[in-house]
This record gives sequence, C-alpha cells and structure tokens, in this order.
Amino acid sequence: MDLHIAYSVSAAFALFVGAGMSALFLPKQNTLAQALLIAGGVCGLGAAAAFAFLNPQGGSLALFGGHFALSLPASFFFGLVSLGTLLSSLFAIGYLPRYALSLSFREVNLAFAFFVIGMCAVVLADSPAAFLFFWEVMSVAAYFLVIADKSEDSLKAGFIYFVMTQMGFFCLLAGFLLLSQGELFVPWEVLRGTAPLLGAKTLMCAFFLLFAGFGSKAGLVPLHQWLPYAHPQAPSHASALLSGSMLVVALYGFLNASLLFPSIPLSWALVVILVGLLSALFGALHAAVESDAKRLLAYSSIEHMGLLFAATGVLFGLMNSGGHVIIEVLKAGLFVFIIFHTANHFFFKTGLFLSIGAIMSETHTRDLDEMGGLARAWPIFSGVVLVLSLSAAALPPFGTFFSEWLLVQSLAHAAAVFSPLFAIIGAVMLAVVGLVAGLALFASVKMFATLFLGRPRTAHAEKVKPLPLTLTIAPALCAVCSAVSGFAVMPFIAPRLGAAMSSPLTDTSFLNATINVWYVLCFFMFAGGAAYLIQLFTVKKVRTTGTWDCGAPLTPRMQYSATGFAAPIRFFFRMLLVTKKDLVSVPASASNPWITAKRLDWSVNSIWERWFYARIGAGVLAAAHFIRRLQSGVVQAYLLLVLVTLVVTLILAL
Amino acid sequence: MIDIIIAIIQPILVLAVAPLFLGIVRKSKAHFQNRDGASVLQPYWALATLLKKDMTIPEWSSWVYHAVPIVVFACAFILALVTPAVGAGYTPDAASNVFFITGLLALGAAFLVMGGMDTGSTFGNMGSSREMTLAAIIEPTLFVSFTTLATLTSSWSLNGIVGSMVFGSWMTALPAAFALLALVYAALLENARYPVDNPATHLELTMVHEAMVLEYSGPYLALLEYASMLKLAVISILIMNIGLPFFMVMPGAPFENFFVACLFFAVKFIVAAFSIAVIETVVVKMRFYRMQEYALYAFLIAVAGFICFIALFR
Repeated sequence: MDLHIAYSVSAAFALFVGAGMSALFLPKQNTLAQALLIAGGVCGLGAAAAFAFLNPQGGSLALFGGHFALSLPASFFFGLVSLGTLLSSLFAIGYLPRYALSLSFREVNLAFAFFVIGMCAVVLADSPAAFLFFWEVMSVAAYFLVIADKSEDSLKAGFIYFVMTQMGFFCLLAGFLLLSQGELFVPWEVLRGTAPLLGAKTLMCAFFLLFAGFGSKAGLVPLHQWLPYAHPQAPSHASALLSGSMLVVALYGFLNASLLFPSIPLSWALVVILVGLLSALFGALHAAVESDAKRLLAYSSIEHMGLLFAATGVLFGLMNSGGHVIIEVLKAGLFVFIIFHTANHFFFKTGLFLSIGAIMSETHTRDLDEMGGLARAWPIFSGVVLVLSLSAAALPPFGTFFSEWLLVQSLAHAAAVFSPLFAIIGAVMLAVVGLVAGLALFASVKMFATLFLGRPRTAHAEKVKPLPLTLTIAPALCAVCSAVSGFAVMPFIAPRLGAAMSSPLTDTSFLNATINVWYVLCFFMFAGGAAYLIQLFTVKKVRTTGTWDCGAPLTPRMQYSATGFAAPIRFFFRMLLVTKKDLVSVPASASNPWITAKRLDWSVNSIWERWFYARIGAGVLAAAHFIRRLQSGVVQAYLLLVLVTLVVTLILAL
Repeated sequence: MIDIIIAIIQPILVLAVAPLFLGIVRKSKAHFQNRDGASVLQPYWALATLLKKDMTIPEWSSWVYHAVPIVVFACAFILALVTPAVGAGYTPDAASNVFFITGLLALGAAFLVMGGMDTGSTFGNMGSSREMTLAAIIEPTLFVSFTTLATLTSSWSLNGIVGSMVFGSWMTALPAAFALLALVYAALLENARYPVDNPATHLELTMVHEAMVLEYSGPYLALLEYASMLKLAVISILIMNIGLPFFMVMPGAPFENFFVACLFFAVKFIVAAFSIAVIETVVVKMRFYRMQEYALYAFLIAVAGFICFIALFR
C-alpha cells in the first residue's frame, strides 16, 4: 500500500508539472492545464487521505529516494494544498477565460503550477535544503501570480511582496544554517538529535530568525505589510490559494521547525503569543473598516493566522509545564484547535476569495461601496456566500464556531486553573479573542450585506448577468465543507479530548465544559421549523411596496456604503487606526473665488505603516542623504575609500 | 417522570409569560412618568393584531429579508429553551455552554442587521451599522464575565452556573456581583434598552433596534417583536437567577417544590421587570458615539470581577 501512496504522490507532481508544460507549450489551452491540475489535486488528496487513514498513529514514508517524506502532519497539510489546488483550478476553468484579454494563460497557469509544486514539496520536504529550495520556488512563483495583470498597482504590490519575501527567506536560511551548523542536507530527524548540542544563545537566535521568516510569510505584524497589498492583486483563483493554502504552509513550516528545538522557554512562547494576538487584533480591526472586498479578506487572513500563532504560543508555554492532567487536556485542546481551525479557515477563505472573484468578473470592481442588491440577481450564489460569511464570522452551527469554541474554552480553562499571573494572562487573551471575534463578525456581516442586500449602489452591480455554473460550483463546495465540518468533524475529534465515544450523540467534553453539535443542530431545526410554521400559517396576503422614504424619493446612493457602515468602528478605535480626513477645495473659476470643487480625501492607514515602516523609510533616506556626500566625483576620494576598505577587510580577516 | 414534566412545562411557561414581562416594564415606566399606561397584557394584543394583519414587503428586498424573522426568532427561542427559569438542570449542559450562548446572541444580531440592510433605506442601514458595532464591542465583556461565573461554579453551562449558585458560599458573592453587574450592562445593550437605545421611539437620533425592523410588518414583525420580548425576559430572568439563586427546583425534587419555585419565579420576574423600569427612569440615554465608553465600563467591571476572584480564591 505504501508503494501505491508513493506512486500517487509522484503522479500528483507529474500532473502538476504536466500542467505547467501544457501551459508553456499550448498557451491557448486553459481547460487542459486546469484539468491536469485538478487531476493532480485529486491524486494528492487521495494519497494524503490514504496515508492518514492507514497510519493514524504516525509514522513516515520516504518519497523520491529520501529528502522528502510523508508523515501524519505533512499528509494533513499536503491534503489541504491539494484540495485547494483542486478547488481553485475547478473555478479557473470558467474564470480565467473571462480575463482572456488582460491575463496571459501561459504566464498565469505556468506560475500557478510552479506555485502548487512549491507548496506541495515544502510540506513534504525532509531536509532544510529541500524545504528552502521549494520555499523559494513557491515564493517566486507567487510573485508572478501577484503581478499577473501587469497593472501599476500589481507591480507595486509585487515589489513589496518580493522584498518582504526575500527578507523572510534569508531569515529562514540563516535560522536553518544556525540550527544545522551548515549541514542543510540532513533530515529533520537528525537535526532534532543535534540541536540540543547547540548553545542557548544560538538556539534563541535560530528560533527568532525562523519565527520572523515564517511570521512574515504568514502575515504576522509587523512583517505583514505585503499581505494586504499582494493577495488582492493576484487573479482571484490564485488569491484563494495564496490566502487559503500558502499561509497554512507557513504555519506548517513554523510548527515543523519548532519541533527541532529541544525545548522552548516560556519567554519565547510569550513573544509568540504577543505577536499572534497583536496580529489578530490588527487584522480584525482593519478587516472591519476595509471597503475593498479582497483586502478585507486579506486582513481577515492576518487575523486568523494571528489566532493560530497565539494558540501555538500557548501550546509552547504549556509544553514547559507538563505532567498535570489538566495541562495535558489543554494541550490536546489547543492542538486540535490548530488543526481544525486551519482546515476551517482554509474552507471559508478559499470559498470567499473564489466568490469575490466570481462577483468581480461580473461587476468589474471589488469596491464594496459600489456593490449591493446582488442577492436578487443571484439567489443561490448569495446563499453560498452567506454560509461562507457566517462561517468566517465564527457563528454557530458552522465549523469555525466549534474550532473557535475550542480556543476560547482553552483560554478560559487556562484562566480558571493557573497561578494568578498566568490566569490573568489567560483572561487578557480571552478578552482580546472576544474583541477579535466581535470585529470578525462585524467584517463578515458588513461584507455580505453590502455585496448582496439592498439596492445596487452603482451601475456596476445593477447590470449583472446570471452567473454560470462553473463559477458557482467551487464556492458551493467550500460552503458545503464549512457546514459539514461543524457537525461531522466534531464527533471525530471528541475522542482526542477525552470523551467516550459510544454514539454520535455523545457530548464533546473539554475538561468540565461540554458542547454537543447535535443538540445545536437539532435546536436550530426545531426552532427554525417552529418559526417557519408560524409564518406559514399567519402570512396571508403580501403586498410589495416602496420602502418608506419620508416623502422624498430614495436613491441608491442614500444607502449606507461599506465605508459608512464601519464609521462607528473607525471612530471608536481611532487611536489604533491612523485615519486621515481632509476637505480639499480647488478653485473652479478664476473670477469668483467662492466657486470651488470640493473633494474629501480620507484614508485609513495602518499604525505599523505610520510608526514603523515610514520611520524606517525616513531613516534609510536620511542615511542615504548623508552617505551621498561621499559621492563627490573626486577620484582621489574614491581611491582612499578603496584603500580603507582593503585595510579594514584585512584586519577583519587576519 | 416529574422531571420530564417540569422540563416540558418550563420552556412553555417562559414562552407564555415573555410578553407579560415587557407589559410590566411598560406599565411601571408609565407609573413613574405619572401616566396610567396600557394594560400589562397589551403586548399580547399587539402580537395577536400583528399576526392577523397583511404584510408589505419593500420592493428592494431579497430572500434574505424573508429568512431574517425565522432565524432571529429561532435564536431567541433556543435561548428560551435552554435557560434555567424555574428549575436548573433540566436541559443538558452540552446545550447551554456559555460560549454557545454568546454565539447564539451574535447570530441573532447578525441576521437582524441583515434585515435592516435589505431594505434599501438609510434608516434600516443606520440601525444595522449601530447594532453590529454594539454586538462587536460587547463581546469581551460577555466572555470575561461568563468565565468568572463559570470558574466560580466550576461549570460552563447556564444550567450548571445557576445550579451551583444555589449551593454557593458567601465567598463567591463579591466576584459574582461584579460579573453580574457587567452582565446587566451587556443585557441592557443586547436588548436595546436605556442608556444604549430608546425602545419607545422611532427617532433617528436614538434608534438602533427599531430602525432595523422599521420595514417589517404583519406576522414578520410579530416574530421579530416576540423574539425581542423573549430575549429581554430570558436574559433578565437569567441574571435574577444567578444573583438570587433561591428556591429553584432541581431534578429529583418532588412536585410541590415546583409550585414553590413557580411562586418565586413570579416574584423574581416582577422584580426584574420593575428594576428595568427603574433603570430606564433614572438613567438618561447616552449618545451613540459614547458607546465605546459604555462598553469599556462594562469590560472593566467584568475584569474587576475576575481579579476579585483571583484575589479571593488563589
């Protein structure tokens, strides 16, 4: 059976390469490339599922003659990436031809194939060298996806992304070089054996370099800067993979690397928790006030990655104090949260990016302020997006609610059982997670409501044609996965938390807290059914009338825009959001100064951009200004510089 | 057998008396304002009238507009089913986990907001924007105060919290009082009462809840109104039961206890309604753009409760 799995993984890679080749040599053929990618995704998913099913206790399977291996965690992430490829390519069959004029199939599909190969190989890599090589393949291929439409914005976003990702890569390279003492070609297992021999300072440097490298990929503050620019610029099926899968690969990289360390002291864990929570809060706040649909989703990714990294930090902290039964259960709970939430985030984020792609291909804008009323045009599709949005808002009865329940309940337990200091840390985390959950709810509802409800705000949203089935089916699959993961997965993970499993109606117990997915579901059926019956028997005559307008006719622009909807949040959190508001008046007539054209310039900026990046940029410019004095054009001065450099080099070298 | 009967009677009782609660609140408020006020049974007549009426639907609405009353009512209905009113412990713990309850409140709020957004009018949109903001910023308070109560009673379900409070020691009173006060803040906010919202007017300066349901009429409005009555009554009773956990009937108790519990339920019910009327009379409405202060007070009180708990029990 192992052989079959290995063949299946090889087949997946071969199909991905084949997709790339077909894109290269048959540039007019989009469907063929996507079909090969889908087939590869199916092979990968099958191999991952078969491996996880046959080796539930762990174990590993060497692939391609070493340097690659399939282990239980790797199979989970490999399966997710394969599934992401499958869904995105399924969507791209109908989606890419709509952009035949602005995108080149050859470039997009070739970059996409290499991006997928990179991600799959990263999670399967069994040595730092293989890991780093394919990491770079993934990052560079992603760059070409970001600049796919060659617009000014895309090139700028691509530039920011490329600089940040290379910085991240060098952090990773330095970290792995330190950790392996230059032996990059040895398997992880050997590294795990040699790492404890290193000094404490070396380990600390390596850990934080790796954290910075993986954190910059996962969009943790302050290295998130590229994410809200780059993710929205890629074609939507690629954005789905960037946000749904690449961030997950970064998380996998971090988890995998952290296992190499002999122990992770509490102080390191606290740094991880702090960075994670700041990212979650930052992402949630910006998602709540953002009016660009795809940037909103990108910020929401930062938020969810922040939550996942914070939970990882708590897990590290608990590793230090093992033994007690409560701590063991908490560890299990957080571990299940990380796995379960990764999957849920993948489902709804992939689905939402694909949905926004479908909407954009009809409305030709991603500005929420210009949308509205789409539910009347696309009733079924709006139902799909509603499910995905509620899932993103972590509302019952969807999977995300149950995964966040695990996190919240873990933190609450931590607040309940630990020594005063840690109890207060737990409570503070709980409060932050509460605020993050509230803001995420705000962002999701805002996005759904301004896209689909009310009247179309502009002609963009008014003149939409029916969506073809090819664009609806992939988001619908994601919505089904989000819904199913709620009530189907929880009973499977319950045994990990220590509850006896005799029937599907067993409570999921987590220490003394219990929740039962089936009760939740039955309640919703029962209560919803009761409400439906009431309205069935009482609603007799329905008249369609105009909305109450106070006597003056309503126009679509009178509705709240997404920007207006978020005004209270912008006001309440104005300390954390750098808002700028200027009324610019330009004289319109030379003779009369009173006639002016007025325009409101306003923007929400990231606090990091203002206080971190802008400062660094100003510092670099000032330094450049200072150094420029050396460039006097006098040959003697340059010769002197050469001499000084030579002397300094010799002193350092000898 | 007796347990099953009580388990069935309890939610029916709550569903039946919820409009009465609002009636008592309105009557006492009118009394404080030197008015006679309508009968305490007025909300029942209002609901019956609405159910009989025809309905109008705004021309810009979609299918979501029709789904809103069903989901909002379902959320309030579930809340009424799982909350201990007369007796504690009659519904499974796994059905009333505190974080499930917060999720349920959020779900109801989210759908109500969608209803307000699906009308094409500025009024509904304004109420929606405000309601969503309030639901977002009160979440930390709910989390922390529920955690304090849950750790005090080592139970994470509403039934367990109320049930353990019955046997609680006086040590728990201080942290529980803070947590309850924070919950009162949250309850006033969730139910659109003073000082957060003015339930009596449709004036655009004050309204949150009424603005969202402005376009609804007939049976849909009846469902939404009944849902808000249920939510108000259930949350108030819950707070009363945590604060004064006396004379609750427990599983295994004889049937006579149920009548005693019902009697005391009636007392708590009236006291809760009367207290809301008192609060609404002595407190002034806050400006909406000061709601971050209100949420912050609530949060600080909740945190004070938790710190009290740490100081007393560790």
